Amino acid sequence: MIKNYFKIAWRNLMKHKVFSLINIIGLTIGLSASFVIGLMIYYDATFDTFHKDKDRIYRVVTDLTSPEANFSIPGVTLALEDAISENSNFETVSGFYIERPSKVENRVLNSEFKWPNFVIFADANYFKIFNYKFLAGNTSEILASPNNVILTENRAADYFPNTKPSDIIGKTLVYNDSLHITVTGIVENFKERTDFVFEEFISHSTILQTRLRDDFLNKNWNNTNDASQLFVKVTSNADLSAIQNRLDDLAKEHQDEESKKYGDEQKFTLQPLGDIHFNEKYGIYDWSKGQASKSLLINLALVAIFLLLLGCINFINLNTAQASQRAKEIGIRKTLGSSRKQLIGQFMGETFLLVLVSAVLSLLLSRWLINVFSDFVPEGLSYELMKSPIIILGIAILLLLVTFLSGFYPALVLSKFNTVAVLKNHLAVGNKKVKLRKFLTVFQFSIAQVFVIATLLVGQQINFLLETDMGFKTDAIVSVYSPRAEREISKKELYAQKLRAIPEIKSISIGSHAPASISTNSSSVTYNNGDNEVNIDLQFIFGDVNYAEVFELDLIAGRTIRNDTVKELVINETCRKRLGFKSPDEAIGKTVLFGDQSVPIVGVMADFFQRSLRSPIKPMAYRGDWYQQDWSQFQAVHIAFQNESSADFKGTLSKIENVYKSVYSETDDYRVEFLDETIQRFYNREQKMSKLLNWATSLSILISCLGLLGLVIYTTNRRVKEIGVRKVLGASLLQINALLCKEFLILVAIAFVIAAPIAYYGIHNWLQDFAYKTSISFWVFLVSGLAMIVFALLVISLKTLQAANANPVDSLRSE
Amino acid sequence: MQNILVSLNEATRTVNSGSNKVTLLDNINFNVEEGEFISLMGPSGSGKSTLLNCIGMLDNFTGGGYTFLGEPVHSMKEKNRSKLYKEYIGFVFQAYHLIDELTVYENIETPLLYKNVKSSERKAMVADMLDRFNIVGKKDLFPIQLSGGQQQLVGIARALIGQPKLILADEPTGNLNSKQSEEIMELFAQLNKEGVTIIQATHSESNAAYGSRIINLLDGKIV
Ligand SMILES: Nc1ncnc2c1ncn2[C@@H]1O[C@H](COP(=O)(O)OP(=O)(O)O)[C@@H](O)[C@H]1O
Ligand SMILES: [Mg+2]
Repeated sequence: MIKNYFKIAWRNLMKHKVFSLINIIGLTIGLSASFVIGLMIYYDATFDTFHKDKDRIYRVVTDLTSPEANFSIPGVTLALEDAISENSNFETVSGFYIERPSKVENRVLNSEFKWPNFVIFADANYFKIFNYKFLAGNTSEILASPNNVILTENRAADYFPNTKPSDIIGKTLVYNDSLHITVTGIVENFKERTDFVFEEFISHSTILQTRLRDDFLNKNWNNTNDASQLFVKVTSNADLSAIQNRLDDLAKEHQDEESKKYGDEQKFTLQPLGDIHFNEKYGIYDWSKGQASKSLLINLALVAIFLLLLGCINFINLNTAQASQRAKEIGIRKTLGSSRKQLIGQFMGETFLLVLVSAVLSLLLSRWLINVFSDFVPEGLSYELMKSPIIILGIAILLLLVTFLSGFYPALVLSKFNTVAVLKNHLAVGNKKVKLRKFLTVFQFSIAQVFVIATLLVGQQINFLLETDMGFKTDAIVSVYSPRAEREISKKELYAQKLRAIPEIKSISIGSHAPASISTNSSSVTYNNGDNEVNIDLQFIFGDVNYAEVFELDLIAGRTIRNDTVKELVINETCRKRLGFKSPDEAIGKTVLFGDQSVPIVGVMADFFQRSLRSPIKPMAYRGDWYQQDWSQFQAVHIAFQNESSADFKGTLSKIENVYKSVYSETDDYRVEFLDETIQRFYNREQKMSKLLNWATSLSILISCLGLLGLVIYTTNRRVKEIGVRKVLGASLLQINALLCKEFLILVAIAFVIAAPIAYYGIHNWLQDFAYKTSISFWVFLVSGLAMIVFALLVISLKTLQAANANPVDSLRSE
Repeated sequence: MQNILVSLNEATRTVNSGSNKVTLLDNINFNVEEGEFISLMGPSGSGKSTLLNCIGMLDNFTGGGYTFLGEPVHSMKEKNRSKLYKEYIGFVFQAYHLIDELTVYENIETPLLYKNVKSSERKAMVADMLDRFNIVGKKDLFPIQLSGGQQQLVGIARALIGQPKLILADEPTGNLNSKQSEEIMELFAQLNKEGVTIIQATHSESNAAYGSRIINLLDGKIV
């Protein structure tokens, strides 16, 4: 029976090739998108799901709020661990500290490793929360004494190549030239997907022998650092609200006088283990991997669902339209003893076959799509993931669902035909479902139209973002960062000195980051104008005297700083206004307080964007490197080129790199950033979104237009005779075309009316993320509406013109 | 004593056409015994097809009693009714009504599929039927590749494959020329001799003559 169904299904597929092709293309696009996106969701959703009692593991994180700004910090104050470790709601409390050693040596092999990453100072509790498999070493006394380290298998292979785990135990590594540390354990790296990428676990007590000694001896409640991590495993009957209350109480108890005065508060919260992979607020440990974004995944899933729906709609429309052609077969089958259920089964089988063909194509396509969409697809995701049982099950369910969605309604319609009526006079049943088809077509085009409008508007905003003047020079500037460990100012000065010999370079400045960057450095300052006190959060850019010149910062009053280390400020306009000065000139010579130090304002510069246009302009000051002797803020040399055109950058760049190598001969940590690229990177997310929208738009237009074409072919074929008669009566080609197009164009127009407000609302919401935005322009709607109609008209005319052009004698004779 | 296959007792069919009630079949009374070959005659529109469809359970009488092999069809559930006709009734149509997408072989096989006959058995039965009608060579052709007479042969083969007790033939030769007609009618006579009960609707006196009994219909009434 099944075989028979498939046979007839196959023959039907082949008989109506155009319709089958339309259906398959639509479903294949929808399914491919679903497969790839489903894979991505599965990939991201299965991070760290393998830990035992994963639902009871939390990271404690800190939210700092002040009237000025809010910060989310993945770490906590060092003092918190001791304060909660006795709490009975916790089964295990484990604090660890992330610290990259500058150097690790295996002196036996004479090998040296610079800046190894993913090194933490931890204790046995860490291994109680996270279950590592020990390949060697004593598991009863984990990291019990100072100067012990546990390595992962991978790290051990770096430090001790070709050595058995058990032979590594007891060997010594030298950290930062002075710390002699014994390997006491080798653990297996986690085999499953995880964000816990740590490779080296040094016993926690060892930290007292490092630069962090003072921090740990005097744990300060008002000092929070990303590196200071705290994990807890709550007991199985823990009272989470009681824990939160306790954390709130602790925060309140230890709020210092200054914080109270300025309204700064810190709040500790438990971040569930499962949230770590997704929550961009607190981040993950391996920054290079890029974090999973729930909103991106949701958007992607929506795109997949819409594309799939469009494909299903094509199927429903074309099949109900064609129903009358199959009426005879249905009638006969009924007289031969088929029940309605069996008929429904047959049609569902046919649908399933079509879905299956599409699925096979989609599986092939997905492989390729994963590459095309590498911007979206996480790096570690491979096609092999398709083989995991959950994905296979998911695909099976999806196929059944799609079969049901597209096939069930047509099957109901088809199987309902009255046998006698059908056999007697071949009722044209298909016509009855015209309303439904119109509705579905409007639905399809509404989706496509929303995508079109959204694409144009998002594109407009991105253009605006990229083309808005940042307020300083962004072209032909590169920043060369000093080696990470290098804090010496003299080397940077030497480097700058040597660079000055290169004729293509216009000017050079040593400083912190460029005026716009993702890093911020700020502190709280106070200004007392005699009557009242203003307290603001002031951001800084640090630079030498040339900084303003290199970036062409616009000085509107006063002067720039006199030298690198003099305590003077050049504030921006926003800061000037916030401090309450009526004019730039009024600000010059006034002093602001940093704690107990007063610093004079010597200049006022025009506002510029400090970050992307998403964030508003904040009070900012340009200042020198006040504490150069102890802790230099300078980390880069900024270089402005003579020539604006990028044609001869290459030669200059290689000169810059060569000079770097001559100055920093002992490292290979050359990092160069182009300012214009840095600024473009601010908008990575928007660019991605725009790319996604472009695809969604083209594909939804493609599917919808194919569906439309199918319907047009069908109706036109039904109306050949009418067309013939009209032609004989003298109708012109254009008149006939207009007649045939009209009913479809009306649908597209209705779709526009529905889509416009939806798109407006959606984009309006999206734009709320931006402090600076374009206005939503009316013409975009007009253009996209017209474009859609022109597009539909083209598709429709493809068929109608051919029909209108046909010789009426042929069509009339065939009846 | 012959078994009574079909028994109609004041069977009536009325339909609502707009606001007025139209009587298509008016108090039909007759019995069909097993082994009979009945010819329904009457002008176009007299209700022959309606009566055949109702007997074949594709349509329902709206009043009166209809018993098939002693079972009251009029009070039966749809499901049981379809079981009954699947088992005992075969149809032959004027327009053949073969499934265009299926080959001759598959067309003949289809009723067996709906009766859940095993694959090996099906093969044997279809082969037998093809043999009997001398159409083995055509088994892989599609209906449009056959002449009208050949299509009707396939139609009859398909009606017979389920080994029905009753064949309902609605103007089976209406689309055929006289030579083909004669062959088909000979075939019916032969089948009837082998024990199959046949009811055929026809315009033609000569065709009707093949039957063992003629029932005349006019405006839905037996005359
Ligand atoms: N469902 C129906 N509704 C209304 N009239 C019908 C219906 N079915 C059949 N008829 C009418 O009943 C009459 C009998 O039709 P039919 O049984 O096909 O006659 P025959 O087969 O003898 O030519 C015709 O006039 C036909 O128009
Ligand atoms: Mg008739």
